[in-house]
Amino acid sequence: MIDRIHRVMIRGKVYEKDQLRVGFVLLLPTMIALLLLFVIPAVQVITYSFTNFSLTSGQKAFNGLANYRYIFTDTKFVKALGNTFTFALLKLVFDTTIALALALMLDSRIPFKRLLRSVYFAPVVVPVVASSLIWIWFFDPGIGPFNQILMSFGLPKLQWLYHEDTALISIILFSIWKGMGYNMVLFLAGLQNIPDSYVEAAKVDGATSLQVLLRIKLPLLRPIISFVIMIGIINSFKVFAEINVMTPKGGPLYSTALMVVYIYEQAFSNGKMGRACAASLLLFIIILLLTTLQHKMGTKKTIELD
Amino acid sequence: MGKRKLHGYNWVATFILVAGSALMVFPFVWMVLSSFKTAADVYTYPPRWIPSTWKFSNYVKVFEMIPFLRYYFNSIYTSVMQTAIQIVLSITAAYALTRLDYPGKSYLIGLIRSTMFVPLVVTLIPLYLLVSGVGLIDTYAGIILPQVFSAFTIFLLMAFFSTVPKDLSDSAKLDGCGYYRIMMYVIIPNSLSAISTATLFSFLGHWKSYTWPLIITNKASYRTLPIGLKYLVQESSSEYQVMMAASVMAILPVLIVFSLSEKQLVRSITLTGLKS
Amino acid sequence: MKKTMLMVMVLVLVCGLGFATGVKEATTPATPRPAVVKLQVWYAMSGASGEAFTKQAKAFDEARADIELELTYSGSYADTATKVSAALLSGNAPDVAVMAAGQLYTGERGDFSMEQLVKDADFNAKDIYDGMWEYAKYDGRIASVPYGISTQVMYYNKKILAQAGIDLSTPPATWEEFLKIAKQAQAKGNFTNQPDFYGFDTSDGVWLIKSMLYQNGNAVVDSKDGKIVPVFADAKGVAVAEFWKRLVDEKVMPAGQHNNAEKKFLAGSLAFIASSSNRISRWPTSATLELGAIPMPSFTQKSIALGGNGIVILTQDVHNRQAGWELVKYLTKADNQTAFALSTGYLPIRKSAQESQLVKDTLAQNPLYKIAFDQLEYTWAYRHFGEMGTMDANFWYALDEIEKGVLTPAAAMDKAAKALIKEME
Repeated sequence: MIDRIHRVMIRGKVYEKDQLRVGFVLLLPTMIALLLLFVIPAVQVITYSFTNFSLTSGQKAFNGLANYRYIFTDTKFVKALGNTFTFALLKLVFDTTIALALALMLDSRIPFKRLLRSVYFAPVVVPVVASSLIWIWFFDPGIGPFNQILMSFGLPKLQWLYHEDTALISIILFSIWKGMGYNMVLFLAGLQNIPDSYVEAAKVDGATSLQVLLRIKLPLLRPIISFVIMIGIINSFKVFAEINVMTPKGGPLYSTALMVVYIYEQAFSNGKMGRACAASLLLFIIILLLTTLQHKMGTKKTIELD
Repeated sequence: MGKRKLHGYNWVATFILVAGSALMVFPFVWMVLSSFKTAADVYTYPPRWIPSTWKFSNYVKVFEMIPFLRYYFNSIYTSVMQTAIQIVLSITAAYALTRLDYPGKSYLIGLIRSTMFVPLVVTLIPLYLLVSGVGLIDTYAGIILPQVFSAFTIFLLMAFFSTVPKDLSDSAKLDGCGYYRIMMYVIIPNSLSAISTATLFSFLGHWKSYTWPLIITNKASYRTLPIGLKYLVQESSSEYQVMMAASVMAILPVLIVFSLSEKQLVRSITLTGLKS
Repeated sequence: MKKTMLMVMVLVLVCGLGFATGVKEATTPATPRPAVVKLQVWYAMSGASGEAFTKQAKAFDEARADIELELTYSGSYADTATKVSAALLSGNAPDVAVMAAGQLYTGERGDFSMEQLVKDADFNAKDIYDGMWEYAKYDGRIASVPYGISTQVMYYNKKILAQAGIDLSTPPATWEEFLKIAKQAQAKGNFTNQPDFYGFDTSDGVWLIKSMLYQNGNAVVDSKDGKIVPVFADAKGVAVAEFWKRLVDEKVMPAGQHNNAEKKFLAGSLAFIASSSNRISRWPTSATLELGAIPMPSFTQKSIALGGNGIVILTQDVHNRQAGWELVKYLTKADNQTAFALSTGYLPIRKSAQESQLVKDTLAQNPLYKIAFDQLEYTWAYRHFGEMGTMDANFWYALDEIEKGVLTPAAAMDKAAKALIKEME
């Protein structure tokens, strides 16, 4: 029986009127922001993707699937897509494992804990322009300290940002330094949220540190790991500023051009906004598929563990 | 507890962490030292770490080249305002998305999530047309408002809010609290520390924002710090030491604020936890 | 069924919305001229050049009670292009912009009103170098006024050349001779014992190869029946690309390090660098560098590609346009051009500027300026067209492929040409 004053049935489901009203009021600002800042621009992007929208002339005529045809036959697009996957994969693997290892160590009893945490988080706050300037210098094949160090160990010098084999790796090194503090803080939070009693109980039962880690800490961290991976995937597909400063124009033989670099090049260097919109629509679909896949895998594993 | 517990494993971890932190601070040491160098020191081979003479005038030069304090103020003002609005928006949204029930909720969550997939590069032009259409070019509002929506903050807060025990809100409801009051007096107080984490993260996000403030401002009096830094790079492409001085000044206050709030930050996440 | 209908309707609605918020056409109101015309001026020049520009613009502002300028530094070339594109689309464009390739924004929109303005008798368009006018054109028609123009200059580090014992009093005239000297400098000139020491590089390979192509009798692009056709992959073009490859093969030029060339030069690990003339005002003498310059070497004919900025008048308002034109005339006056050039390393656009006593005195004292100014005789400008940005990106990629031996010079040039043709279809 539905209480008709306080409750209402919509499509076979019963809702509380109060919740509907409050929910609407509280969500209204967000929905307006969503509509103005995202939905309308997104619709425009979709529309533009079927036009020859040029930034220099301002012209915008329907040209069907021409942009999509161009992109699918453009070797640069294929290359950028491949680079993006390489970048995302390597960065995710290193970033996540290092940040997790750091968090695990920082969670144990060690001296200078607070200071160390600050040190590992510090690169996150450095503006992109400043940090890339420093690292460009480090990577300098001639007067840079990295090659100086390599040489002092009797190792061969590297071209770092200036060679197609090392450029993307250099960028990844840099972005691990820059970004892992972010994930570390999230992991630390998750770890410290694990009740001490769980760990103590396991130790009383004679579990080794490794077993505590594998059987208790990691399973309980799974939601955060999954969150960090999702954000990591998304950010890998959106990274732009650092790469564009450190290796302009897609870098040596286009080896550091990620998707957004490609999109930027089309929109602003070539003035082909329509094409850039088509490329970003494809990018959107790719991220959507990837995160959905990751989400599905994440949930499945959690259920298995429960 | 106590010193008894400092057994072997912890010393290994300490050793690794201290060694690793040396790698982490390496760029900072370089930046600070470089900011006092002369041009000759900068270009010496082999690289010179310690300046031959300590040149403090690099810092003075920054102020001569750009209205540094004005940019600083603009950055702080716009970042604080963006963060404040964003946090309020995100709290209300996250609360409504986790604790209330209404039709279409899952679609809304999906829509919010998908906003994370779109790079600014492509929405830049449509957004610019929108903002200029309502006459907000060269205004603080024009910088602030288009950047207040963040799916990341909403999702972060949703994760925290959903961990506040349902019993708490249920008993508040029995005491006659409406849903607004539950948000104000149950959810928010129990997630204060989580909110401070989200605040820090969103502040940092705005603090380094470059493209949007650049495109939407024409007058120097509305420009923000990252634009000022980029300007320095162009203006003094051969004066590395001056750029390093500007960088030091740009990050120092943020670093100090962070290390002071760090304890609060980590504890905060600890208290409320993060479960999605 | 109902649902699908609804979906379609929504889609149609939003698509309409997408198209509706498009370009606002600027109109020309027949209003009387206001007492004070306010002019928005954006400029993409920083440092000494920015200061020199604003100084002159402010002097104009003060001299004219009826015109008020609002000057805005709009960022790097790329940032300025982004800002101008967005502003034009929304109808918020500045009245006047000093920017690179500004004529794309007027020309592509069919705005050739500059053609009429430059006929102004007291402007004396004939006094401006022909090459510079070419540079200011879009698709063969004048669409901007040259301003803040530069060429590449072949700089060298006197300390390195002295160490190597090379006398440059008779500078190398051809690239072949230059290659020998650069090689010599590399072998003996490393006075700071740098590990990564080279004879030559350029900070802008795309710019340099355009000069080299023209020097070898290749026009880069041609216009046939109103369509742009790339010609840089012909035999003469490939010969240039092959020489480029030799620079790397003979280990005089490092492969793929153009972004780093300026830093290497300042650090004393590069004997020669081809870089913009506006660097004259920027590079300081230091323990590792003492700046010298020689005329650009050439192939069969002397030639040097122009670069830099131009002034465009973007406003459609009659009065603002007129006021903008007054500003252009002021900035391009011979004595202002002289002063601007001598404090920035940009080149004066007027032939008459060369005749002033100040210029003569300065050139006598400062051989760097003399080298840059003397090159004005044989400057030329490559054609500006809509896909120029793509062409430059293709060139950049091709040079990288040539230097690294991924493709043969002929194949790389051919690939760049085909990519450009595909782009223009």
